[in-house]
Amino acid sequence: MFSTILEQIVNGIVTGSVYAIVAVGMTMIFGVLRAINFAHGEYYMLGTFGAWFSIDYLGLSYEASIVVGVLSTIVVAYVVGKLVMQRMVGAPAESGVLATLGIALVLQNTVILVFGGGYKFFSGGYIEPVSILGFSLAQQRILILVVCLLVFVGLELMVTYSRMGKSMRAVSQNVDCCEVVGIDVPQVVLRTFILGAALAALSGVLTAPVNVSVYGGMGELITFKTLPIIIMGGLGNVRGTFFAAMILGIAESLVATYVGLQFRDTVGFATLILMLMWRPHGLFSTQARF
Amino acid sequence: MSLTETAQQIRRRDLRIPLGAVLLVIALAAPFIGSRYVTHSLIIALIFMLPAHGLNLLVGYTGLLSLAQAAFFGIGAYTAGLLAVTYGTPFYVNLLAAGLVAGAIALPLGIPALRLRSTSFVMCTLGFVIIGQAIAKNWISVTRGDMGLSSIPKPHFALGPLSFTVSGTMGFYYLALAIGVLATLAVWAIVRSPAGRNMIAIRENETLAESVGIPTWRYKLIVFMISAVFAGVGGSVYAHYLTVVSPLTFQMYYSTTMLIIVLGGGAGTISGVVFGSLLFVGLTEALRITPELRMIAYGLCLLALVFWFRKGFSPLINRFWDTVGGAK
Amino acid sequence: MKYTSSRRAFCISSAILSLAAVVPGLPGLAQAADETIKLGIVAPMSGPNARYGAFSMRGAELAVKDINAVGGVDGRKIELFNADSQGTPVEGVSATRRLIDEDEVNYIIGDVSSSVTLAMQPVAEDAGVLLLNAASSNPKITYGAGVGGYKWTFRNYPTDENRAFVVAKYAAEQRGFSKFAVLSVDSDYGRSAIEFTKKYLPEFKGEILSEDYYKEGEVDFRSVLAKIRDNGAQAIIMYGLADTTPIVARQMVEIGLAGKVTLVGNGEFNTEKTIKSAPTALEGAVEAAAWLPAFDSPESKAFVEKFTTEYNEAPNNHAYVHWDTVNLLAKAIHEAGSADREKVRDALSKIKYKSPVGDVTFDDHNQARLPMILLQIENGKPSVKGAYTADIQYPAQ
Repeated sequence: MFSTILEQIVNGIVTGSVYAIVAVGMTMIFGVLRAINFAHGEYYMLGTFGAWFSIDYLGLSYEASIVVGVLSTIVVAYVVGKLVMQRMVGAPAESGVLATLGIALVLQNTVILVFGGGYKFFSGGYIEPVSILGFSLAQQRILILVVCLLVFVGLELMVTYSRMGKSMRAVSQNVDCCEVVGIDVPQVVLRTFILGAALAALSGVLTAPVNVSVYGGMGELITFKTLPIIIMGGLGNVRGTFFAAMILGIAESLVATYVGLQFRDTVGFATLILMLMWRPHGLFSTQARF
Repeated sequence: MSLTETAQQIRRRDLRIPLGAVLLVIALAAPFIGSRYVTHSLIIALIFMLPAHGLNLLVGYTGLLSLAQAAFFGIGAYTAGLLAVTYGTPFYVNLLAAGLVAGAIALPLGIPALRLRSTSFVMCTLGFVIIGQAIAKNWISVTRGDMGLSSIPKPHFALGPLSFTVSGTMGFYYLALAIGVLATLAVWAIVRSPAGRNMIAIRENETLAESVGIPTWRYKLIVFMISAVFAGVGGSVYAHYLTVVSPLTFQMYYSTTMLIIVLGGGAGTISGVVFGSLLFVGLTEALRITPELRMIAYGLCLLALVFWFRKGFSPLINRFWDTVGGAK
Repeated sequence: MKYTSSRRAFCISSAILSLAAVVPGLPGLAQAADETIKLGIVAPMSGPNARYGAFSMRGAELAVKDINAVGGVDGRKIELFNADSQGTPVEGVSATRRLIDEDEVNYIIGDVSSSVTLAMQPVAEDAGVLLLNAASSNPKITYGAGVGGYKWTFRNYPTDENRAFVVAKYAAEQRGFSKFAVLSVDSDYGRSAIEFTKKYLPEFKGEILSEDYYKEGEVDFRSVLAKIRDNGAQAIIMYGLADTTPIVARQMVEIGLAGKVTLVGNGEFNTEKTIKSAPTALEGAVEAAAWLPAFDSPESKAFVEKFTTEYNEAPNNHAYVHWDTVNLLAKAIHEAGSADREKVRDALSKIKYKSPVGDVTFDDHNQARLPMILLQIENGKPSVKGAYTADIQYPAQ
């Protein structure tokens, strides 16, 4: 009994890591733009497709495909960032919703047009199971966990010490003042956006070996999973997002085990609504942005 | 906007009434002009117009961005469908019941949700849709789960000895048109009432509105419920038209569709919503000429809307309306 | 500034509206000769459901291409129209209306999603257009068809009842399983297959220890698989989606269930790619399928080969059933001796069609009596254990 619960918690942490890497990008973009990015899952999908393409068509190794997947997403994110996201600075919330929905439709269906709509199977990665503490896990999941920790340590350091991190924090606090002191706001927005998209792509490439199925519409689901996380984490809060993702991952695993798998997708929003009743500003203070 | 602008104007010929009459004639004659497919598309536009009107009261007049419309739309569709299939109740009963049930459910949902602001509120309302779908899927004894409801009967009216069934696309079009016109008039009445002005005050500045004695909380809750009533009514028309209700009625796709109609047409204007629903259906149907590029083109249209028409088409409609009305 | 932007707005919006008004009229101008057979396909082609719709389209396209290459059906070429349903009833009905009224098709094949098909039924009935369904499994579709009411709906797809019965019988009698865990997709297909399984399982002294349904697009089954490992089930009854099977299989390997618990049910267990994704987990798996790519018949082999060279990917079940349904329609038109809808409909109800997997006939509910192929994965290859055709028991009206 106890070992089952422990196993589910481990499962939840691995799932949470995937969500965390995607959600942190979304929350940072919210921080600088005040816009919910409904297209964020699409970068997850793009990364996966880039990797799938480089393995199946270019014959590259999985390691190389990670690089290709992330780099190709960065290129797309640069274009989208230049054309759309930079113009969203100071736009009302409705504009953000419509624009990102539009981007999601364009990206999703362009991929369907180019690669065909049918599902594909991803064939790379380290899927052999290893036994740790009596639990059996695919090596890939351990890799995901390690990468997640590295990403968050890296982001913490970047946000606290680097010039880019400082300017991101500044933009998230007050756009007008940033302009006064000479911070190039559009530039910060673009960089944050590309960073967030690249992280989503990284998450996609890392999970592809265990998630196997690759198709154009796969990003939508991950967007819906991460939306409650960014709210729970306190919008724009990197550390909060990490913990919120872990909480959601664990909660999902426990619900899937003890209540039923069919309720899994509901967990995120149900938890979110319950939490909002109790703490309308998120689990973690929104004062400490980033 | 029009409240202030129409005050003192040098009038040319006022063509608004003749124009309105022309529009009405076009609306009435539409099934005879276009094919059945065009009529069908207009019905879809009229169905989506109902929840969009409700959403407009929230977004356009009270300033609350909500994605919950699909949840209330689904509740309305299920209420009407279940009543019709289980008890064989007539259409107008289902329509009223759908609106009432949706409105009643909106009350307990609105009380906690409306305490939230901006993004949290948006996500909370999106949560209602997701949870609604889970309930529809898993409360099998009531909703019949994934099997959904099918063969929902066509609207049937019995007035004493007179009874007739609305069958066929044309008949349904006139029914939907009648409901659409009534709904539009209802919104117009709400907006023109003192309550409507208070709603606008809340949108413009909630704190200020509160300070001048407008019970903002109560207003927001009531508007949230009214918007749910509109969505529920729309759902019942949907159920009777398509004859099928499944848990997938609760999906974000419908919420965003309604949002696109309101924002595309121009939030805060009634004509904008009417125009928006026509434009939306016209656009998605016109794009069927290229099935492969359809959704890509649609996505690009959304981006164009955001960048070029931030206020939707309402400034355009207003200007046209003013010109027709004889204003300089 | 405001002036110019609203003028631009006016131009663009009037362009869109006039496009909307003109476009429906366009296909009418390009009216082809009367002798062509106009066939519409309604399938989800955008959004997440496109992953099934894409295969349907390609299967139908291939069949049409082949038929036209040999001169069509008795000299009549087939003209294919496709329409996107996005997997939602509203869009599906709009697509159907457009096909009927603007493209003036006489025959429609669609949709994948059951709720869309159910909404399309009255529209097709109203217009007197033949609706052939090739991929929806909701039993209500045929309960309401033929003598059930909708005269114009036919379904060339096996019912869940037959499938569930065959699988339960084989699993219990041949494999000796008695403890089952359910892990199926949360849709009418997954749910109704399990309902029927529950109806027949007591006959074979089987019991269900746990029941879980996954939502489309689910990727994490570790929690449920761990539960199944601990509750001691011998087999997992899975009526699932094709693209989910490899995920479940891989996670079975991960969690140590491979080789200990067997998958039984349906969800393309047998394709080369699926087996390759987790050979140990799929060894011994039992599946009841309408068709399998490895099926040993010249027509089927030829189809797989053509599809693979044409589209550079292996066909799946959806591709096959749509390919097969176009051929079925062509046969019916040939037997009717004319493209007259009513004659074709009558021909279809009396047809004896030889599909690559066996003989197909229709019952009085316009439901195809199809052979259900039972297979088992042995040494990484599907091995056919038999084909079953059964009549469907309809609930008393």
